[in-house]
Amino acid sequence: MTAVTERPRTTEAHLAPRAAPPRRRASPERVAAVLTVVALLVASVVALRSVEIDPARMLQSWSNAERFFGRVGAVEFPPLGELLQLTALTLGLVICGTLLAAVLSVPVAVLAASNTTPGPVWRAAARFVTVLARAVPDVVLAMVFVLLFSLGTLPGILAIGLHSVGMISKLFADAIEQIDEGPRTAVRAAGGTRLQQFTAGVLPQVLPSWVATVLHRNDINLRGSVILGYVGVVGLGMEMSFAFKSLDYGLGLGYALVIFVLCIVMEIVSSSVRAAMLGIAPTGRGLGDRVVRRATRRRAAGSSAGVVRETVGRAPAAAPASVDSMLRRPWDRTRVRNTSWGAIAVAVVVASVLVCDVAWSDLVTVWAGVPAVAVQFWPPSFGSYETSTMVAAMGETIAIALAATLLTLVASVVIGSLAARNVAPSRGMRSGMRLLLVGIRGVPEVILAIVLIVVTGLGTQAGTLALALGGVGLLGKLIADSFEEVSAGPERALAATGATRLQVYAGATLPQGTRALVGHTFYMLDTNIRAATLLGIVGAGGVGYYLLNASQGSNYGAVTAIVLMILVTVLAVEGLAMWMRKVLR
Amino acid sequence: MTPHADPSETVVSLEGITKRFGETVALDDASLTVRRGEVVVLLGLSGSGKSTLLRHVDGLERPTSGTVHVLGHEVTALTGRALRELRSEVGFIFQQFELVPSLTVLENVLTGSLAAVRGPRLCLWSYGRAARAEALARLERVGLLERAYQRADTLSGGQQQRVAIARALMQRPQVLLADEPVASLDPESSDQVMALIREIAVDEGLTVICSLHQVDLALSWADRIVGLRHGAVVLDTETEGLSKAQVMEIYGRVATSTDQMAAIELELAGDAVR
Repeated sequence: MTAVTERPRTTEAHLAPRAAPPRRRASPERVAAVLTVVALLVASVVALRSVEIDPARMLQSWSNAERFFGRVGAVEFPPLGELLQLTALTLGLVICGTLLAAVLSVPVAVLAASNTTPGPVWRAAARFVTVLARAVPDVVLAMVFVLLFSLGTLPGILAIGLHSVGMISKLFADAIEQIDEGPRTAVRAAGGTRLQQFTAGVLPQVLPSWVATVLHRNDINLRGSVILGYVGVVGLGMEMSFAFKSLDYGLGLGYALVIFVLCIVMEIVSSSVRAAMLGIAPTGRGLGDRVVRRATRRRAAGSSAGVVRETVGRAPAAAPASVDSMLRRPWDRTRVRNTSWGAIAVAVVVASVLVCDVAWSDLVTVWAGVPAVAVQFWPPSFGSYETSTMVAAMGETIAIALAATLLTLVASVVIGSLAARNVAPSRGMRSGMRLLLVGIRGVPEVILAIVLIVVTGLGTQAGTLALALGGVGLLGKLIADSFEEVSAGPERALAATGATRLQVYAGATLPQGTRALVGHTFYMLDTNIRAATLLGIVGAGGVGYYLLNASQGSNYGAVTAIVLMILVTVLAVEGLAMWMRKVLR
Repeated sequence: MTPHADPSETVVSLEGITKRFGETVALDDASLTVRRGEVVVLLGLSGSGKSTLLRHVDGLERPTSGTVHVLGHEVTALTGRALRELRSEVGFIFQQFELVPSLTVLENVLTGSLAAVRGPRLCLWSYGRAARAEALARLERVGLLERAYQRADTLSGGQQQRVAIARALMQRPQVLLADEPVASLDPESSDQVMALIREIAVDEGLTVICSLHQVDLALSWADRIVGLRHGAVVLDTETEGLSKAQVMEIYGRVATSTDQMAAIELELAGDAVR
């Protein structure tokens, strides 16, 4: 068909007078986008020089580190009982916070999704809440709540809960927008109300993705709970911060090690819960997914079919069923499994709430204290700090993020390429690189920063290196995945002309993957800006240090001013990233 | 209102319905009257306006002009609870079944009773024992009682459509609308489903409007055939003693352009092969 229709067209073109080849019109928006990329690249190079990362100094600090570790001696751990109690407290607090966010995000997501929102005004308001919740760091929320509630678990729960609403409700709204509208129309056609259409037609479809998002967020919150300890939220993070402040490095590193192990265990648990409860295969490349996949492979080989095949193949019950006999739901494997998972979930939730020992009455009495605290936070002013110092600190934060992103990008392109199936010279190389990426992703950035601070001393170097290293885990994986997804045709065509492996990579793989590369890098920059504002809290340079200082010195006007500065920067970068993704699509 | 009340009573009437979606005209001054207990087939190629017409009967679409009366109510004037009550008296069967795949068969059937209860229902037990017993009886009627506690997506296409029929029956409807109910099914399940709809229609005294695109099936199944083309009614006749050639002739007589003729000839050829 196509050949027949195309032939006359080509003849026509052949006969037509030869015009000048059509110039590729670059839209002004595209030009601006490309110029922005170049400007950011230049800025990153400048930033890299300004944070003073050079190999000579790093070698020198490495010898520092050796001496340091000699001085610290062995890593110490607290007594087992205390350790277990602190672990339970940290887990309970994180789970309670995530649960709070999970509940709060349902109405927000319903209002924000285009197909369930009652109107554009509601939608805009919900989107605003989502963006704002994500932009205000949970540490800042924790500072405020610590002030309101004094000690206890409530500040941590509320901080995690309110901040996490941003991510959970955004992903949940996306899931709602992607549903099959059919079942919902069916309920509508049967005379269901709007609420019934949601509960019977929409909710069952999005429940699995909602649970998966919440579990994922729980992992993130556990990593983040370390930094909450620095501003007075109880748990392992707080004990660790005390240890480091009293220069008990051995104990501090012991806590860091415990948190690191806890994060990995949690990832494995949540991955297996996702796999078992939701029937979502552990396809991810995270450490948890990998372990679960390996563990279940043997079992899966025995009974190759999943749940679905099993139930389809099973013959109806031998005894003829009647309406009366069917009124009782049989205790088949599905029901036993669902019920036991439900029971475990309830037990975990109840245990978490009990462990947290929440002072519920505080939720009522706290309102009386709000005006007094609010007055302290308003108006924003830098107080005793020079404005120029503050702006310079913010600049330093941005420089850390830019420099870290550049370092991450360079390292990730190399590692990510070698981890891509169609680029790696050998299978062994690919698996090795993939494993390396997984390993890097397993380490919480804050822990990385703290260890680096111990090694290189306080300052921007530690922060930049921590972000750069941690970023490789994510960006390297994203790059490897997008390189594997490029069309194989051009690669084969180039290989057929006798091009070398490197020529195929440069001529076919890289050009096709560039667009994704740019997108992922901007995502990385967005993440790094957020993270860089917080790393200062543990002493890794930038505005975070002043944030913590202002809060501990009861200089709350300055806290507000710094938070506003962070908000503006984060939102600006997010806007820039969104614009770039749109233009360069 | 009891079924079989008055055989000559008009249950559904559409008068001069025109529906535009932007520039396209989906329905062009279409009129249709259906009496109680009639089994009517809307016949036409895809894009002829069959689905849009059915959706007007259930108040899922509002006409650009014209009026729709169903069971003595002017659908076009109803809103809120009155509209929902009318919808609950009209069952709707979809081409793609539109079950919730992750819920059990029984829960899917129970969603048919949502209009009768107030507020949301979140799990099986929240519907109450009486409703569950009724839903199981409906499932027994469509021959799927044993499957009640399986997930809907573990069933074959034909079985899923039978679940959807049970769900529609759960509404205790007076009118049943079916939009290409067998277009996604293999021939064998397709025969089963069409036979089931006809049986139930007779047993429960339902008025049925069903859209189809196969002339043969329509002739053997319906009491009356209404032909649609480009949103206009071009044929409205009893099937008694009617032959396929006659249907095609009527189609051909009102065809105005050669491409429409070609479309009909294509379908004739396709039916002959089948």
